[in-house]
Amino acid sequence: MSAMLDALVGNKVEIVTNDGRVVVGILKGLDQVVNVVLANTEERVFTPEGVDRQALGLYLIRGDNVAVVGAVDENTELGMDFSTIKAQQLPPIVHD
Amino acid sequence: MLPLSLLKTAVNHPMLVELKNGETYNGHLVNCDNWMNLQLREVICTSRDGDHFWRMNECYVRGSTIKYLRIPDEVIDMVKEENTARMKAAKNRNRDQNNRNNRGGGRGGNRGAGGGRGGGRGGGGGGRGGGRGGSRGGYNN
Repeated sequence: MSAMLDALVGNKVEIVTNDGRVVVGILKGLDQVVNVVLANTEERVFTPEGVDRQALGLYLIRGDNVAVVGAVDENTELGMDFSTIKAQQLPPIVHD
Repeated sequence: MLPLSLLKTAVNHPMLVELKNGETYNGHLVNCDNWMNLQLREVICTSRDGDHFWRMNECYVRGSTIKYLRIPDEVIDMVKEENTARMKAAKNRNRDQNNRNNRGGGRGGNRGAGGGRGGGRGGGGGGRGGGRGGSRGGYNN
């Protein structure tokens, strides 16, 4: 099943975690439970005032916490003007 | 590359572990296992709000409580070296075992690599046949 994600190894991906954080980095590896290794990671904190980007280096995210893994299109990213983006933070996942 | 092999390579390196409850543990990795359980040394634990700090010589973190780990960038370059070193060690171990097996069947050994493999297969087949015979006797009972 994780063969779907194997195709993304080496590419820039965006990961949304269960606590609502958005993290972007180069997918270096993953395993059957979707533990993820991200290199050159950047956390994007969206606020109604703008976007805050923090460089975080090498990340190992435990699969329990991964909600979404998305492929990032580099060209689209380059065209994005982060200074104009304003957004609400994603809420954390709540199990009711 | 596999996340858990990255972790294994990161032994002795400093790292930051954030738990599901928001606490962060900064320390050097002593050991880890397949469940991501960690043993850390010289640890500073920071509470979720960043207001409280604890220092411990050693701590054990259960893998299931981990949210993520931040690891020094250089560790990812070390993983490839560790893999080639491990594969070489495994290859040497296999070569030593094969040499020991073929010493009994000298003819196989003289032929070279191909002959060695043939001798190994023959020995394996004989062993398997003996096993099958034994179990058949068991079923009859």
